[in-house]
Amino acid sequence: MEKAKISAYQLFVLILLFEHGTTLLIPLAVEAKQDAWLAVLLGTVGGFILFWIYYGLYQYYPDNLPTQYVQKIIGKVLGRLLGFFFLLYFMYIAARDLRDFGEMLVTVAYPDTPLFIVNALLMLVMVYTVRKGIEVLARTGELFFIIVYLFAITGFILVIASGLLNLTNLKPVLEEGILSIIKITFTQTLYFPFGEVVAFAMILPYVNQSKKAKVAGLFAIGLSGINIAIITALNISVLGVDLVSRSPFPLLSTIQTIRVAEFLERLDVYFMLTSIICGFFKISVYCYVAVIGIADLFNIKESSRLVYPIGIVILFLSITIASNTSEHIKEGLQIIPFFVHMPLQVAVPLLLLVIAFFKNRKSR
Amino acid sequence: MNRKWMFLFLMLTGLALTSGCWGKKELTDIALVSALGIDKNEEGRYVGTIQIINPGNVAGGLQGGGGGQAPSITTYSATGDNMVEMSRRASTKISRRLYYAHTNLVVINEELAKEEGITKIFDAFDRDPEFRTTATIIIAHDTKAADILKTLTGVDKIPANKVIKTLKFTEQRWGEHMEVSIQEGIKDLVSPGKEPVITGFRVNGNAEQGKKLENVQQSALEAILQADGLAVFKDGKLVDWFQGETARGVTWILDKIQGTDININWEGEQEAIAYQVIRQKTKVSANMKNGQPKISIHVRAEGDIGEVMVPVDLTVPSVLFNIEKTLEKEIQKEINHAIQRAQKNQSDIFGFGEAVHRSNPKAWKKLKQDWNNVHFPQLKADVTVEAFVRRTGLRNKPYFSNMESNQ
Amino acid sequence: MPSFFKHLKKKKNSENHKESSQDQPNNRLLGFIDDSISINLDMIKQKTGNSSDVVIRTLNISPHSEIKTAVVYVEGIVDTVSINDFLIESIMKNHALQEKLTRENALKVISNNVAALGSIKLVSDWEQLLLSLMAGETLILVDGTNEALSVGTQGGETRSIEEPSTQLAVRGSRSGFTESIRTNTALVRRIIKNPDLWLESMKIGEVTQTDVAIMYINGIVNKKVVEELRQRLKRIDIDGILESGYIEQLIEDQTMTTFPTLYHTERPDMVAGNLLEGKVAIFVDGTPFVLIAPTIFIQFFQAAEDYYARFDIATALRLLRVMIFFISIIGPSAYIAATTFHQEMLPTQLLIAIAAQREAVPFPAFVEAMIMEVTFEILREAGVRMPRAIGSAVSIVGALVIGQAAVQAGIVSPAMVIVVSITAIASFATPSFAIAISARLIRFIFMIVAATFGFYGIILSFIMMIVHLCDLRSFGVPYMSPLAPFSPKSAGDTVVRLPWWALKQRPPFTSNENNIRQGKDQRPQPPANRGMVNSHTRKSDQNES
Repeated sequence: MEKAKISAYQLFVLILLFEHGTTLLIPLAVEAKQDAWLAVLLGTVGGFILFWIYYGLYQYYPDNLPTQYVQKIIGKVLGRLLGFFFLLYFMYIAARDLRDFGEMLVTVAYPDTPLFIVNALLMLVMVYTVRKGIEVLARTGELFFIIVYLFAITGFILVIASGLLNLTNLKPVLEEGILSIIKITFTQTLYFPFGEVVAFAMILPYVNQSKKAKVAGLFAIGLSGINIAIITALNISVLGVDLVSRSPFPLLSTIQTIRVAEFLERLDVYFMLTSIICGFFKISVYCYVAVIGIADLFNIKESSRLVYPIGIVILFLSITIASNTSEHIKEGLQIIPFFVHMPLQVAVPLLLLVIAFFKNRKSR
Repeated sequence: MNRKWMFLFLMLTGLALTSGCWGKKELTDIALVSALGIDKNEEGRYVGTIQIINPGNVAGGLQGGGGGQAPSITTYSATGDNMVEMSRRASTKISRRLYYAHTNLVVINEELAKEEGITKIFDAFDRDPEFRTTATIIIAHDTKAADILKTLTGVDKIPANKVIKTLKFTEQRWGEHMEVSIQEGIKDLVSPGKEPVITGFRVNGNAEQGKKLENVQQSALEAILQADGLAVFKDGKLVDWFQGETARGVTWILDKIQGTDININWEGEQEAIAYQVIRQKTKVSANMKNGQPKISIHVRAEGDIGEVMVPVDLTVPSVLFNIEKTLEKEIQKEINHAIQRAQKNQSDIFGFGEAVHRSNPKAWKKLKQDWNNVHFPQLKADVTVEAFVRRTGLRNKPYFSNMESNQ
Repeated sequence: MPSFFKHLKKKKNSENHKESSQDQPNNRLLGFIDDSISINLDMIKQKTGNSSDVVIRTLNISPHSEIKTAVVYVEGIVDTVSINDFLIESIMKNHALQEKLTRENALKVISNNVAALGSIKLVSDWEQLLLSLMAGETLILVDGTNEALSVGTQGGETRSIEEPSTQLAVRGSRSGFTESIRTNTALVRRIIKNPDLWLESMKIGEVTQTDVAIMYINGIVNKKVVEELRQRLKRIDIDGILESGYIEQLIEDQTMTTFPTLYHTERPDMVAGNLLEGKVAIFVDGTPFVLIAPTIFIQFFQAAEDYYARFDIATALRLLRVMIFFISIIGPSAYIAATTFHQEMLPTQLLIAIAAQREAVPFPAFVEAMIMEVTFEILREAGVRMPRAIGSAVSIVGALVIGQAAVQAGIVSPAMVIVVSITAIASFATPSFAIAISARLIRFIFMIVAATFGFYGIILSFIMMIVHLCDLRSFGVPYMSPLAPFSPKSAGDTVVRLPWWALKQRPPFTSNENNIRQGKDQRPQPPANRGMVNSHTRKSDQNES
């Protein structure tokens, strides 16, 4: 473990930026059509529960990283194996997100640039940051939080000022009934983006005010859930359900339609800015937790030396996981939630919590 | 140990920097396309007309170079089987790379719209990240799209700008035409509850003269681009043109009127009082009655009296109320007219289907299939209008009312 | 390939014989003064190489016995008036005491009764003697004693107190520091008249023996910072300190950064303000620039006037300065990125105008920008070095050649000239020169990155810059406090400036002990019951007279 401490507010900011990470890019819960925002809100509630599980585990072992307390709960060998799987998971998701980003940039702005270069640049900046540790990452997060929020509010005002908001597109509400929304929540929005808070289980031991950490975390998840729901509703009301389901980047399409005062047009670069910042944080957090996890499992003293190799691994992984966008998206929507997200985000922590509960009850 | 990684870092950065920059587009290497026109030739291939801006001639020659001697735009044409091929093939004629990010106007040939329909043309524009789907579409009425693009215009240097601004202001002032973007067009094409309706433009005057620079060097232009009618589509094909009050009826229902002038008859005189609409709000809602859809349209308009041609005493409130009632009837007539015409064409351009979908999704599921052909032509629309006359300008009684009483 | 570096490293080490100031002229081995005055005087002459400004004045202090006395001083750095009047005259003319003088008590008598001057001390070893002599003190040697008196008579010509040349203020005091350390510390003492204002002196620099003093307010300052500062200053082992910049570069937290971690100022009121917040000031003799530690990034955007002006204009100016800083960094790169990669961002009309201009220019946007920027840097350097008389010629040359002729010749486009000029003016508008310098260098990096990758590159470089800033610490204090880590109580004085009655606490990172700077309820409210407010704001009833 690093000798670092972050405050509860910094945790809040990190979780917020992390949650927004790639969510701004992807069409979320499209099967729910115009009720997608409801699916997001339900996912937020699910996120609360999941965070509560991770926090519960943290409370039983406040000074240990998850890779350590997993060993305490289910034994050394099994624990190490499980920890290792988690780390692979983190690295894989980091690579996925990096690929998402690269795809967005190459599609929108730099069609002639090879994906490898675009990804490599982001990876370089990320490596530079993660080497400096969680404190620097948290402080940078605080600064960027203000910038991102300013952009978001400005964008929102501009969309409304363009007169594009057409709330009738959100009707009819609950056309398919509440059950289908719940089904979509359990297959999609619960895992992405809210279940991904599992990465923060590795960061909780660094928070110096553990009581406030719970409030900070829940607040962050709630706020980001509301934000994402608003953005989803915004996309639907501006673009209409059909266009949202056909666009790989619905928020970008929304921003492309902003036309205010004849000169504030074509603002996609600002979208690019905001999404790069949020994506950068998400990938950095994943890379960081992977690094400290590996340092912990394999007893390496200086974790900053691992960052370069892991960064390069993530870079190459991001290129090789899919050969075209459709394959990439299909993997993400149909294979990953069931086989990867569901066990690692929900089933395993729940199981661990139950075992920890029994173990600690016995020890009293 | 640190040195090694610094070196690697620098190597990677150097690699990234020195291998050249891929996406670079120098301003002198791109041709700014301001408008794109699509026609069809005899062999059935698309003929695209590309209107390119000459920056040196637009900005007015700051460099001391000749500005104003050459037209501010140049047009090129190219043929192809689809949009992408046409655009790339045009590179054989143009000395630069075509840049579509500022293309704000797409003109479609009338015959192409009638015969083949517009369903398939838009995919290239929709998919390409460079092309903006906020670009305006218009249909070339009684002309070829190429002619509209080649006409030079007076006040605005770039003809595409003229068309777009004309469309915008006539939507605000006269209300018979409306701006439709590619995005809206696609949305309407796809939706089962609404059909697209697109404004048309024509070249008024001598089209051949309009292409020459002399056209803009006189005070009265030989050829002018004028907005002309609304093109109504069904299943992606152009079926009818609405003009005049029918067209205005369409925009009333679509809630797009921002200001217009309505003339009413008064005391035997035709078109005696001009009422200027300042703001209005139209609400369209649908109800199911006995398994049949019933649409109610409620219009609420406010405005001033702009002009009177009969000696009417506008200081008396009851007179104003009477004017209001006449106005309401007039607006109702226009709207009903438009609905009947659309029903004859069996094309729901008003979005009544979508209204039914919003209010009663289950019923919509049943009606969706035959909406345009069966249910829409049969439905009854209940139009209620509330018109308010708020002010009468700087004068109340017209000056000639005193004139007649004095003599 | 990394082994390649190892070879270099070994070579470097073997070549360097350890340089330390041990090789410098050193007086430590000379021992103590002799009894005989002639030997002492000879030693002084020899040690100073018979420098012509060392004045040795022999006197007779006792009319009866021949007690040889000598007064030694260096002309030019002493106050000759006080020497003549108080020292020599008193010694020679005080006949009463002279009766009592013997060899043994001569010095004591002189120091207790005769020398009517402030600081006096006894020295007995050569090192101290010569150092005092060179520092501007007068030595009194008496034949037969192996001690000497060293009297404080520092003086000589120094610059008078003038307006500071670098940090001007419209409102606020007009005095700036001078080169004499005594004057400078006195200026601060005049503002903070409190015994808790402590001053520690030391001499740094083996050859130059420069006076360096640190000043802080005991009770407010963070003791750890003071201790750390002392340690770092003690560590300095260099031959000469010519300016506070030397000290700054030898004690700063991190060298591999363009951002300064120590603040320097020429104004006493800024130093006083910082001392009140719990920081430490470092004075260096010979320069009017005083260093302040620890420093945070926001400080470089605060001008002294901010605190004298009212909160609304102060806040507006602060926000403007932050915006200016960003313009000076990102200006040209944004232009390059927009016109080379992201032409869709610009409104069509603007794009047409710029395209028309670029038609005439042969270079790509990046090369054009580089030419303009480098030319501007040359102009700027020329402006600094130019003697006043030719200064106006430079500005004419600059305006005509660069502005007009280059545009007309088609070498650069007018839009680029505008962008570069605005950037340059923006960099002049940053209140602290140190930060403007960093911005100048960073701008070039951003331009290169923008030319290669457009806005993506700019954003990534921006992220890297912010990460770097967040990583810096200045004497243990995070550089980006109080924005990150966020502490709301001291965030009222950063990008905005809340009214003075709202800034109740000192920044917590510098002063742990004593945090409150104001009493309660300092918000000014004219009293309603004395008829000083309008009747509509009066809350009391109407029965007031």
